[in-house]
Amino acid sequence: MMPALTPDWWRESSVRRLNGVSLLMLVLALLALPLADFEVYRSEPWAELGRMGWGLLTPAWEDPSELLWGLVHTLAFAVLAIALSAPLGLLLALVFHWRPVRLVCAALRSVHELFWGLIFMQLYGLSPLTGILAIAVPFTGVFAKVFAEIFLQQSRQPATTLAPGVNALKRAAYTLIPQSWPALRSYTRYRFECALRSSAVLGFIGLPTLGFHLETALKQGQYSAAGALLWAFLLLIASLRYWLRGWLLVPGVVAAVWALPDTVGFGTGGSLWRFVTEDIWPRALLAGDWPGVGRWLAWLWQEQIWPGTVQTLALTQVAVAATGLMVLLCYPWASRSLMGPWLRWPGRFLLLVLRCIPELMLAFVFLLLLGPSGLPVVLALALHNGGLIAFLVANASDAEHPRQGARPGEPRGLLRYAYVETPRRYPAMLALLFYRWEVILRESAILGLLGVATLGFYIDSAFEEIRYDRAFLLIVVTAFLNILVDGASRRLRGSMVR
Amino acid sequence: MTLLRGLLAGLWLLAGGWAVSLPTEAQADSFVFTAIPDQDESRLQARFGKVADYLSARLGVEVHYVPVKSYAAAITAFRNNQVQLAWFGGLSGVQARRLVPGSEALAQGYEDQFFKTYFIAHHSTGIEPADKLPASVKGKTFTFGSKGSTSGRLMPEFYLRQRFDAAPDEIFSRVGFSGDHTRTIAQVQTGAYQLGAVNYAVWDAQLAAGKIDTDKVRVIWTTPTYPDYQWTIRGDVDQQFGAGFSQQVRQALLAMEDPQLLASFPRQSFVPAGNQDYAPIEDTARSIGLLDE
Amino acid sequence: MTETPLFQLQAQSFHYGAHCVLRDISLTIRRGEKVALLGPSGVGKTTLLDGLYRLRPELSALQPQSGGLVELLSAYQNIFMGGLGRIGTAAALWNLLRPLAAERRAIEALAQRLGLEHRLWYSVDKLSGGQRQRVALGRALFRRQPVFLGDEPLSSVDPLQAHQLLSWVLEQHDTAVVSLHNRQLALNFFERVIVLGNGGIIHDGPTRELSQSQLDQFYQQTGSSTSLPSPAAASAGEGWVIRTS
Repeated sequence: MMPALTPDWWRESSVRRLNGVSLLMLVLALLALPLADFEVYRSEPWAELGRMGWGLLTPAWEDPSELLWGLVHTLAFAVLAIALSAPLGLLLALVFHWRPVRLVCAALRSVHELFWGLIFMQLYGLSPLTGILAIAVPFTGVFAKVFAEIFLQQSRQPATTLAPGVNALKRAAYTLIPQSWPALRSYTRYRFECALRSSAVLGFIGLPTLGFHLETALKQGQYSAAGALLWAFLLLIASLRYWLRGWLLVPGVVAAVWALPDTVGFGTGGSLWRFVTEDIWPRALLAGDWPGVGRWLAWLWQEQIWPGTVQTLALTQVAVAATGLMVLLCYPWASRSLMGPWLRWPGRFLLLVLRCIPELMLAFVFLLLLGPSGLPVVLALALHNGGLIAFLVANASDAEHPRQGARPGEPRGLLRYAYVETPRRYPAMLALLFYRWEVILRESAILGLLGVATLGFYIDSAFEEIRYDRAFLLIVVTAFLNILVDGASRRLRGSMVR
Repeated sequence: MTLLRGLLAGLWLLAGGWAVSLPTEAQADSFVFTAIPDQDESRLQARFGKVADYLSARLGVEVHYVPVKSYAAAITAFRNNQVQLAWFGGLSGVQARRLVPGSEALAQGYEDQFFKTYFIAHHSTGIEPADKLPASVKGKTFTFGSKGSTSGRLMPEFYLRQRFDAAPDEIFSRVGFSGDHTRTIAQVQTGAYQLGAVNYAVWDAQLAAGKIDTDKVRVIWTTPTYPDYQWTIRGDVDQQFGAGFSQQVRQALLAMEDPQLLASFPRQSFVPAGNQDYAPIEDTARSIGLLDE
Repeated sequence: MTETPLFQLQAQSFHYGAHCVLRDISLTIRRGEKVALLGPSGVGKTTLLDGLYRLRPELSALQPQSGGLVELLSAYQNIFMGGLGRIGTAAALWNLLRPLAAERRAIEALAQRLGLEHRLWYSVDKLSGGQRQRVALGRALFRRQPVFLGDEPLSSVDPLQAHQLLSWVLEQHDTAVVSLHNRQLALNFFERVIVLGNGGIIHDGPTRELSQSQLDQFYQQTGSSTSLPSPAAASAGEGWVIRTS
């Protein structure tokens, strides 16, 4: 990605380097624009949007216990998945320098939770195990990667004072892990919020979390019910900081185990073997019909893999650029140094709403407004991810900003935004955006469910048509794309700090 | 010391996590069914719990209901013997019976003997209702229901191909899958899509409930009739629950008369059906490439 | 003497990054020697000590300048880390939850000598600079090695206590190489003094041949122009976190 010959301006000025990277992303987005499937259809959405808005304002739920259990199950899956994936990710992070581990972790996190859910559903049906694994498996890969990066930032000094023969486990338990504990903790907290979202979204494929009822309510146009669910979820996320405490972990896990939904009609377990040895391979391959395999591959490549890949990448690139613009536009409204201690709350609330509402639902609203094309997908991704990053950026700004207000002589308002805050926040913002790149790619695949022909659209179709061989290959292709983007993002991030 | 507690808890969980997540295989002896009604999917557990109670009383075994989100999930559960009985759509039933040899269609809804699909259009298209699907639909945007639906996907696609001798994405400028009949109606009503294909029963029910603005959206063509939803049971239930069990289930279904129970599906009654009733569906699915040979 | 020297360097150069810190160092240190390492800051004492440590890691206990402490662990655990090489993995992990009885007794005795008996269960981020240095010293002592390599081990400890502790540390170790900025301590406790400056060794000889005034001269010669960024400050800038201010 980087110029082979680094010119002087590249080495000497961090600003130019950052601008160069930003410009590269923007140019790529502009190049992707004609490839992306964008179109606006004239529609008359106001009656439907009015019903949605009214539903949000008048939340109602017939059976409170059902709503409560939806919340409890959402929490239970998230707690258990984190309790499983964080320690596992920690162990993997300790051996992350080992290449195979890095590759396995990249593969684990390159498949979206919903697709893991669909896969595990073939094996374990609609059981708690499906829900927990669907979150825990990709999260383990994420934890391993991020924890390993946190470890890299720690001083090597304590380790040099240990005896040379001390094994890796003891070494880590006494130096790396306690050294990085605050960072590990705060990242795990953040991941817990992500796990709650994932857990809720898994309801869309049938697990009994909030998403289960939300999907139904949206589908049936019961917007008051949808409103109740959204508000409940919003409250859950917004209140996290008031009750999420380390000591709750053990009682939380015990309670979560107790609260797991019953497994009804658990299968005989023979499906795992059948799935691995038969279902995911094309029938021609199992029959040893090589020309048949070739035809199958050629057809899939031409009809689904290639167009799906182009569409996925194009939408992702545009969405990433739009997310960046969205962050620049949004974070000032939620930061103390720009809006003051009180006026920032409406901004913070808006960002909370944006990051809580599932992308699928945002996309649905835009679909009604703009008609079916890639446009609702890009807008939904930009709003959701932009809301999330802007929130983190505003928090970072608040953390540095003294409570008393600006120092005398510092610029205010727009000038402060342009000359003080944005330059300070920009590198971190860009780093977050690059982290999110991979996530946006995964989600743009998922939003294919709306009918835009991304890879996710074809994967969903393959599952619907019970063609696991196609689904498997398409998931592998998606995973591969993810690994590529992950590599590119790592390089770009590296080039910004060096 | 919170650090140590955290580490300890982590290790404990690693050990305990697996034991945790493999709970109850206890209900191995209970009879489990699933159903996705073609309309009103809310409060499934409450409504179908009553159906489970009815079946339990008739059959003398414990009966459970599992809600699922999609036909694909229902088929998977059926194939993996997590459910033994399912209320499938026409296409999903065919798919399920292909995957589980020996399984059998038991009964269909009275209405399912002559099911049909409405093609609906937004008023801005200016397309008038006709006996034959108008050629002016070409080049418009169009949405099916869910990808695995018989009335929202399979049959409308079949009649489109028959009428125009082309695949849907060649006929229309854009083809979407709304995922659900209610949503199809909502999207065509707002004009997000110009045309759509919808289950006639859902349309009629929504129309009766006053949820459709007929100035905005209307039916422009009705497909010929075809068989749709049916109860399908696994072939091995007789071994598991005793000889003649599947016949008992069929009798119990046919004898269901309580309007409250029937309203969950919603059907006026159930009538006998067999695998051969769905041969036309299977042929159609094969002809449009949804099923392999 | 026929025995092989403990440390031997022949015309060796040491680099920090692309920068050559010490050039053509030749040096022999034998068993039983107590060597003080002097020179203005930034002259390469830390680099030389690290280099020596790498020659004999299996015999040496290193007390780095920063101490290498782990902030969230207690002083007890930080000292205990010195003994990790002797203690099995399971026992070491258990010790994080509950201190092992025998080690606890040994470390309590050590803490008594270090004047840390009332601070043993504080996490080290709550300790003062001098206390932290004594914890780091405790860890090096708990290594129980024959060779002590200390990088300004007592710079923040008050003079009286520094005297006592230094003499005790030298008693406990057969061989020691200690960098100091306090020249008086060097003259009082060591038999041999090495002075670094201008990228090399500018003096190496027995203490009795050296007076305080001679030492002062060395410091003036080298001046302050040789100062380098300290390695600790430079390495903190690495890694993926982007500094935002």
